Amino acid sequence: MTTPPRRILLVDADAFFVAVARQVDPEGAGKATLLIVGGSAQSRGVVCSASYEVRKFGVRSGMPIQRAIRLCPQATCVPVPRHACSDRSRAIAAVLQRWTPVVQASSIDEWYLDLGGTEALYDEPLAATARRIRDAVREATGLSVSIGCGTNKLVAKVAVEVAKPGAGGDGVHAVPPGAEVEFMRRFELRDLPFVGPRLAERLARNGLRTVPDALAWDEPALVGLLGERTGRWIHAWVRGIDDRPVASRDVQKGMSREDTFPRDLHTEEELERELLRLSGKVAADLRGDGLRARTITVKVRDADFVTRQAARTLDTAVESDRAVATVARELLRRLRKTRRVGVRLLGVALSGFGEAAAPDQLALFDGEAAGGEAPEPPVETERDRRLSHTLDALRGRFGRDVIMPAALRERPSREPGAHRSSVPRVPRGEGPE
Amino acid sequence: MRFTISREKLQEGLSAVAASIPAKTTLPVLANILLETTERGIRLSGTDLDIAVSTEVAADVETPGAITIPAKKLQEIARELPPSPVKIAAAGEQRVTLECGRSRFKLLGLPKDEFPAFPAVKFEESWRIKSGDLQKLIQHTSFAVSTEESRPILNGVLWELRAERMRMVATNGHRLARMELPISSSGAPAGDLIVPPKALDQIRRLFPAEEELEIARGDNHLGFRSPFTAVYTRLIEGPYPNYEQVIPKDNDKYAIADKGSLTSALKRMSVIASDQTHRIRLSFNAGMLKFSVQTPDLGEAADELPIRYDGDPLDIGFNASYLLEILRYMPTEEVRLTFKAPERAATVEPEGWSDPAKYLALVMPLRLMD
Repeated sequence: MTTPPRRILLVDADAFFVAVARQVDPEGAGKATLLIVGGSAQSRGVVCSASYEVRKFGVRSGMPIQRAIRLCPQATCVPVPRHACSDRSRAIAAVLQRWTPVVQASSIDEWYLDLGGTEALYDEPLAATARRIRDAVREATGLSVSIGCGTNKLVAKVAVEVAKPGAGGDGVHAVPPGAEVEFMRRFELRDLPFVGPRLAERLARNGLRTVPDALAWDEPALVGLLGERTGRWIHAWVRGIDDRPVASRDVQKGMSREDTFPRDLHTEEELERELLRLSGKVAADLRGDGLRARTITVKVRDADFVTRQAARTLDTAVESDRAVATVARELLRRLRKTRRVGVRLLGVALSGFGEAAAPDQLALFDGEAAGGEAPEPPVETERDRRLSHTLDALRGRFGRDVIMPAALRERPSREPGAHRSSVPRVPRGEGPE
Repeated sequence: MRFTISREKLQEGLSAVAASIPAKTTLPVLANILLETTERGIRLSGTDLDIAVSTEVAADVETPGAITIPAKKLQEIARELPPSPVKIAAAGEQRVTLECGRSRFKLLGLPKDEFPAFPAVKFEESWRIKSGDLQKLIQHTSFAVSTEESRPILNGVLWELRAERMRMVATNGHRLARMELPISSSGAPAGDLIVPPKALDQIRRLFPAEEELEIARGDNHLGFRSPFTAVYTRLIEGPYPNYEQVIPKDNDKYAIADKGSLTSALKRMSVIASDQTHRIRLSFNAGMLKFSVQTPDLGEAADELPIRYDGDPLDIGFNASYLLEILRYMPTEEVRLTFKAPERAATVEPEGWSDPAKYLALVMPLRLMD
């Protein structure tokens, strides 16, 4: 008996952040053809996404907004609609899950689907199923997706680039089983996933630019040139071979909030205030996912782009604003002790997750029983947890600013973008209370 | 300085000291090993400032002297040398030559003065303890120390020295191990020392069981000395938590189980236990211990083991890895477990142990959620 070929799709939302920004702001962003999402024109953040029209000017994701504006001065810049993006992402995933239970979110706007075993269910070519999925997503969310189909994740991922409207595709591209090598031949090596600029350059120095260039090399030769690991996967990938499974339960390993400031921050007071704000946000994200975290990491990017971080792992997982902020402050102070210059970016990350509902390991020395000198107080008490959940409930009902730490009142504030960029906002003035 | 040493003696000396050399250091001389000639041969010393190890090996000394040279390189060279006598000479202060058969090496050293002095400990006021006794305590307790940074005091092993007994205690706040041995009085005052386990590992590694050690303390350091080898360590400061208070005295339920069978059953249950909590449930009933584990998104498992138990039925949750670890160090075929209630400390002790030592381990349960 032969195993049937695998049926893997990669669903990629077209210009996702741009599309969502247009949906939430039909009058502003919705009408701008030249649109950059990432932050305002004055911000020091980076481009999160740009409309296809702006990309023609050479604007790319990850580029500082200031530079993008120099390339395309007429562009409209808007902040990342973070919440809307998460909502729409979840909505697309929900549609995809109607077609197969094996859906792996690869990023906020990219999903792998394994349609293995659905041959009888969808008695049609894979491309036809893909078109129906595409229509279903558009109908449910108003967003357009492109779909690459193949016998593995690599081929699907490369195929979606061909399918994209920006690349002249019609939204779906399927590579039939057996045609993988032929399909791969048309690409340059730097188009393959995981081939970054450095590796591409290293390959090019040895005359390897295109997939056919690399097809001429056998595996030992590639291993000799690139080392065991890289040599092997390049050898497999140029042949369209990839046996990575579609992992439907991708376990989240960490979450973070960070913020690039409109100007470098110098005083400890300013920094600690921003840290308090970020700690509160990432702790709220954590509780929102029903998790607790043991490891807290603070990241600092100094004005000269030197990036440093410090982390602490606690005995028990925590979830409250106070616990996260307390540990984060201690870490920031440690970082500032070694180097005290202007700070461009500050971030707080949480990892080492445990389910919040995990049973508690009882402790030998609790509170007073520790004896000797006053024991170190527990990082988080039940009261802290209750307080944080109460705040979440209040904010859920009346908005984020309904209640906040006193230290964060009556001053200009800014809203951090998702992980990468930041968005300054007009001063809030008196906080509503 | 000039001496000749056999390749084996050089390797022996280097491997004794190597563990005290830090892998990364901001003070360059700490990456070096100190070589000094003595009346009996040469002394090799290394330190990472927390712990220092010094050992003497036989060598033919031609010209006395001292020098420090990169420890890692010297060790790598010694490993690759042919089996011939090794001649080491230091010309001036910083140029060390090493010759063995037809191989020749030149290494850049650093002057001896840059090497940190060993902590001053008063060996004239010392405890004298058989290395084997000390090793027994270390082996049975030091596994239980905490590796978390949050409470540094628990990163050390508490060593209580009294006129007639000594005791070691280690805990991470969830489980604890305590062992006590009678000793003959030795003159030195009683003391409570909190010793980093890294130093205790070296004691176990470096001193043969039959050797008698001299142990003495300085301001904040402890020294261990045998005729050829010495280990110094920083002590952890601060009061150790009152562990006596948490050792239960009114546990009224007890079970006696075969250690091997209990271990096997726990290992089977661990497969299905959560990777994070390792939570399993033990149900004690007359003559029978039932195990069960349920982990969301994974599955469940159950097992049974006949035991001696005649108390009231008891359901109690534990981190299986804590129990397994404790069982690994239990010296007898059978173990005795005692309990009071599902959320109170349980103890594990050797059953039928004819040994002058007293050994007890303690573990806090995991709260059962249902």
